[in-house]
Amino acid sequence: MTDGKIAKSDFDMSRRDFLSTVLSMSALGAAASVMPGISQEAWAAGQTVKGYGVTTAQLKDWSIMTKSTGLSIDYTPTNADIGVFMRDVMGNNLGQTHDIFIFDGGSEDILGPEGFFAEIDEKNPELTLWERTPDAWKRAAYLRANDKQYGVPVIGNGDCFGYFAAAIDANPNGMDEIPWTTFFEGEKVKGRVAIDRSWLQSMSETANFLKHHGRLDVEDPADLPADKARVVADYLVERKKAGHFRTIFSAFEEQVQLLSNKEVDMINCWEPATKEANNALGPNATIYAFTVEGYYLWGHGANVATAAMQRDNVANIYKLLNYFLGGEYRAYQAKERGYAGPNMDLGVQYAIDHGWSQADIDNLKWTDEKVKRKFQKPFYCKVVPENAAVMEEEWQRFLNA
Amino acid sequence: MTAILDHQDAGPQDTGTRRSLMKRVLDGLSPSRLMVPGFLLFWSLLVIVPLVVIVLFSFLQVRQFRVVYEPTLATWISLIDSGRWMAVVRTLRVALTMTVIEFLLAFPFALWLAKGCRSKTVKAAVITLLTIPFFLDAASRIIVWRSILGTTGAINTALMSLGLVDQPVEWLLYSEFAVHFGLLGTYFPPMVFPIFMSIALIDDEFIQASGDLGASPAQTLFNVILPLALPGIVAGIVFTLVPLMAAFVEPQLLGGGFVDLLGNSVNSALQQLKYPTAAALSTLVVLLLGLCLVALIRVVHRRIDLAAMFVAMRR
Repeated sequence: MTDGKIAKSDFDMSRRDFLSTVLSMSALGAAASVMPGISQEAWAAGQTVKGYGVTTAQLKDWSIMTKSTGLSIDYTPTNADIGVFMRDVMGNNLGQTHDIFIFDGGSEDILGPEGFFAEIDEKNPELTLWERTPDAWKRAAYLRANDKQYGVPVIGNGDCFGYFAAAIDANPNGMDEIPWTTFFEGEKVKGRVAIDRSWLQSMSETANFLKHHGRLDVEDPADLPADKARVVADYLVERKKAGHFRTIFSAFEEQVQLLSNKEVDMINCWEPATKEANNALGPNATIYAFTVEGYYLWGHGANVATAAMQRDNVANIYKLLNYFLGGEYRAYQAKERGYAGPNMDLGVQYAIDHGWSQADIDNLKWTDEKVKRKFQKPFYCKVVPENAAVMEEEWQRFLNA
Repeated sequence: MTAILDHQDAGPQDTGTRRSLMKRVLDGLSPSRLMVPGFLLFWSLLVIVPLVVIVLFSFLQVRQFRVVYEPTLATWISLIDSGRWMAVVRTLRVALTMTVIEFLLAFPFALWLAKGCRSKTVKAAVITLLTIPFFLDAASRIIVWRSILGTTGAINTALMSLGLVDQPVEWLLYSEFAVHFGLLGTYFPPMVFPIFMSIALIDDEFIQASGDLGASPAQTLFNVILPLALPGIVAGIVFTLVPLMAAFVEPQLLGGGFVDLLGNSVNSALQQLKYPTAAALSTLVVLLLGLCLVALIRVVHRRIDLAAMFVAMRR
């Protein structure tokens, strides 16, 4: 009797447990299916790669990638602040939870030798597009440290400034080269120029401008020793006191707002800001310049966390790295943000194969030409310059002047 | 019966014993025995120790995003070379100016709200309105002013449409004026509330008696209301001045990079992982605030005993 009761009770408990388990699993599955960025296929296959990096490396809709590769990415965006990035990777040991990092090339100079980034396995079977990727992209100095490959090229561009053609009497087709002299000293835009609060970008661009015009003798405008940084800061202080700058901005949203509100005539912004502003103001209302003196040439690299190589997700990580070299990612990055990257021909082919409009296809070709044209001018950025400390101190002098 | 009587007789005695026991326990908890040392220990661990760590950190430096644990004065010297000290001076100037402005606006407002406004509905509505800044994210609240104060903003458009100006007034945005303007709304409630509460506690009969004895409204204000409202005024100044020293959003969004305050400078240092620089700046802030509060207490102390003031409020 007792046995029977116990047995019934056990049966009841088991049934409750069973129901509970079924409900839990169903709920979990349902939750997974509606989670943004994680498709059912990817969830089922366990193919999610965890990424952390700059906002601009993202596709606006990652589900496109999931459809074509079955891969899914759980991407945590950050701004282009090297300090925050270094803190998270080194201090917070983000490699324990994230598989890949995407940031301005150059961070590997420290994070590679320090053991936070793994060397790229160029022979990995998933990295099928590596061989056909031009050396100009994959062997760029900003992806390597100590003769070792730590990064895979993702996107790149030459940064300079956006402008309203009418404000400086420039050709509205945007094909003319506009001198940085106009940006720093143009009388017509005096008091209507916005300069980026990022000292890495603004000090380097100013140094390149001064170097071009023989007013500064420096080997690398992106890495200024103390005396050179002082000359650059002195010049910027002089321009600030002359009332040349309207504002010193700090965020991408500000760039868009300053252009959209026509608060400034020139701004050393990111190219996507002009695209966003033109969405509000109309086509070609603002132009992203070709310049006389040169650009802040940068490239984002995708780096693999050393700890991730010990996990069981390496194949998916390399599949994702390969995706960054492929046509789909290239086409969408160029279309949505105006950024180029390696294997642009694959991007054009993707657009043709997928029935994109001729205008879009022409735009992709144009993006490739544009970036090639920019990369013929100096110089390359450096996100961890050896003289970072003195550059930042001099920049503070400019801010406080 | 006898037992009951015995028990009844013993009752008050037992209660007395229990009371005396409780009293002894409470005496043991009196400020002089346990509370003060306990509070000091708790306060030290919670506040003083981190402050000491911050001060010590300011004597280190960072190379290639790594803190070098060797004592040096380099960080403090760099505060002068980089002009960061100017941000300290500017911050103090802006904070003191804003505190004075807020007080001049808040005191009459609080006086009206506490003694002038007779409608309970209006009073409740005003107090509710004053809490609105606490509900909204500072950045969301402040960024709206950009589209109002900018050269193509609402004010400039109106001024030009009315023919009052030919060119947009540029100093409305990205200037010290804009920063002060932005700070005004944020720090008005912290100044108003303590003053309002202290004035509300003043017995109306005191004010009436002052008038009956022939005092003019000004004499009543300066000789009756102000001294009795002093605890609220001191609290209002502290609650306004201290957070103003760390103001970050308004200078960032409305100063356009031209009004670099300590908060921005500390943020910039932290973004480069220059923790010693941030620590040195924080040390300066604490020192300056300490000096300001000491000065405030000394000024107030000449007129009345602060401790007695708060006891009076309790009564």
